[in-house]
Amino acid sequence: MADLEIRDLTVEADGTEILRGVTLDLDKGKTIALMGPNGSGKSTLAYAIAGHPAYDVTGGTITWQGKELNDLTPDERARLGVFLAMQYPVEVPGVSLTNFLRTALNAVSENDVPIREFMTRLRGEMKELGVNESFLQRSVNEGFSGGEKKRFEILQAALLRPQLAVLDETDSGLDVDALKTVAEGVNRLEGPDLGVLIITHYTRILRYIKPDEVHVMFEGRIVASGGPELADELEDKGYENIAGLKATV
Amino acid sequence: MNLDALTEDAVTGRSDAAGEPSWLRDRRLAAFKRYLDQAWPDSRADEFWRSTPFDRRFDVVRDVVAELPEVGVEVPGTVTASLDASTSLVRIVDGVVLDAVVPAALVEQGVIVTDLATAVVEHPELIESVLGSLTTSDPEGTGGDEDRTITANDAAWTGGAFVYVPPEVEVEAPIGIHVHVTRPGAHLPRVLAVIGHHAKASIYLEHTSVEGVDALVDEVVEVVAHDAATVHLASLQSWSDQIQHLGLHKIQAHRDTTIRTLAVTTGGATVRLRPETDLVGPGADVRPLGIYFADDGQWFDLQPYVRHIAPHASSDVLFKGALQGRSRTVFRGNIFVHKDAVGTSTDENNRSLILTKGARADATPFLEIECSDITAGHGSATGQIDARHLFYLESRGIRREDALRLIVFGFFREVLRELDLPGIEEASLAAIEARVEQADLSAVQVNDAALRDEVNA
Repeated sequence: MADLEIRDLTVEADGTEILRGVTLDLDKGKTIALMGPNGSGKSTLAYAIAGHPAYDVTGGTITWQGKELNDLTPDERARLGVFLAMQYPVEVPGVSLTNFLRTALNAVSENDVPIREFMTRLRGEMKELGVNESFLQRSVNEGFSGGEKKRFEILQAALLRPQLAVLDETDSGLDVDALKTVAEGVNRLEGPDLGVLIITHYTRILRYIKPDEVHVMFEGRIVASGGPELADELEDKGYENIAGLKATV
Repeated sequence: MNLDALTEDAVTGRSDAAGEPSWLRDRRLAAFKRYLDQAWPDSRADEFWRSTPFDRRFDVVRDVVAELPEVGVEVPGTVTASLDASTSLVRIVDGVVLDAVVPAALVEQGVIVTDLATAVVEHPELIESVLGSLTTSDPEGTGGDEDRTITANDAAWTGGAFVYVPPEVEVEAPIGIHVHVTRPGAHLPRVLAVIGHHAKASIYLEHTSVEGVDALVDEVVEVVAHDAATVHLASLQSWSDQIQHLGLHKIQAHRDTTIRTLAVTTGGATVRLRPETDLVGPGADVRPLGIYFADDGQWFDLQPYVRHIAPHASSDVLFKGALQGRSRTVFRGNIFVHKDAVGTSTDENNRSLILTKGARADATPFLEIECSDITAGHGSATGQIDARHLFYLESRGIRREDALRLIVFGFFREVLRELDLPGIEEASLAAIEARVEQADLSAVQVNDAALRDEVNA
């Protein structure tokens, strides 16, 4: 049994069916890439894993380390080690970044991490990711540029040490230097205790983070699966020429 | 002496008994005559009272309290006193000044922090020309400052504090004025502060009362900030449940002054505050801020008023409130820009966060502009907890109650972080925390609409 098992998952949002039966496996220690054109349902899958309230699971199951996630709240899933780096992280006005991170770390570690130890860890992770210390004075995502938001998502992953990291379009909006930094951050996290699901439209992040498998989603289904070479094929031919996709993409 | 039926004999009799100078006695008498000519505010007729029914929320048939507290009365601690020993503090309990403390180092620099009744005798030259000068309408301004709630205090105030900071003296530690209520009745505290040119002062006006006391507090605060002075005025309404509070906090801001005010309202049955600033000198800059948290049964009416009389002054009003239970808040902000106040820059905003069903927030950010050569903005918004914010925090493992607390605190921190006033942020958040802890978090309503937008993005 895989650590993450998604079986025949169907998901609706606002009454519209978006995922039409998705089956996917991911083990800790592995990295898989989920690719597909805009609107194919990639982000919906990410949100469904995290428990976003606007997405209704209408059928199928998401199981993480033997535990079904379907009926768990987002915070319960996070405390089981599930982490979603969001495509568009929201600004939470006035909520101090430091206070937010410490509350989150205490929650996922089920432990009151002493403030000094916390600050030392936080400063260390910030340094690794090239995040300026002035961030400590700021509110969550408030006034952050697109690139700063993405970096901050990875910083959170580094601090919270999830066992499943879903990275939803983490590469979009990043310039090459920022992309490299973020990818290095992800690579540092990788190891036998972490499964990574990279969701991306483009292949460029896959030059820096090597996936073990690549899956292609189209119209709410996975239509092609393969090794890293599938990403290269997509790069060369585009989504419209991958087997099973219609020319309307 | 009943607040609803003041008499000439009572007003002059008290003045005589206190040995007040004749100019003050005459002034009380003149105010009393105006009081006689006026009626209590009529919410059907008075635009400024339209949202709050005076007769239902305020009971004026009460005896004026001016009684020495019992020996050994326990006065609660203050934010001011919790700081280091360099703070000054005047304590007014039940209409009587209990004590006034001011560090010797400040006395040496000419700083005065004392009982107003003492000061009118010892320093008439500092007081006679200003006491009561801000409660009557500025002939250049608009909006009658004066109504019976003010003339009653003008005529019969008892328990007052006087603060004087000489020119060019910068007082770093806060100067506290603590109004504490233990007896039922009408309390008429009075504060006068005169801050000299290029001087600096932070004044903490702290309001407390014992549990269960049923009282009306009709308060007038006048602050004169001379040229280039910096004045911070924080007012904490930490009343117990049955207090009715009418407060006029009026600042006169001269040339190039920097004024920051913060009204933190969490206690009381009904609180109607008028944090007002008249910008009478060019280049003055005022930032009136307010936060409030209204719980079941509470009614807060916040009426910040800024009058741009002089040119090239700026103002930026921001009030934020949260509501839960059957509570009511009113924000009626007013910005007046005189026809000669060219180059004015002003903005005025109110945000309300409705936590649970049954609460109601009214907002009227009002502008009255006679001058065209200015920049002005105003806005208001009322909403619920944003489901996107909640999801973001929860997706990091933070439990719902902790996430809600973080979001509510964040809502207020946006205001509090603009000020660097020792102890105030902590005290404000502690007062709000106490309210949040009583909240039924399962009843908190969340705005899902934004989530739908996200789906469709």
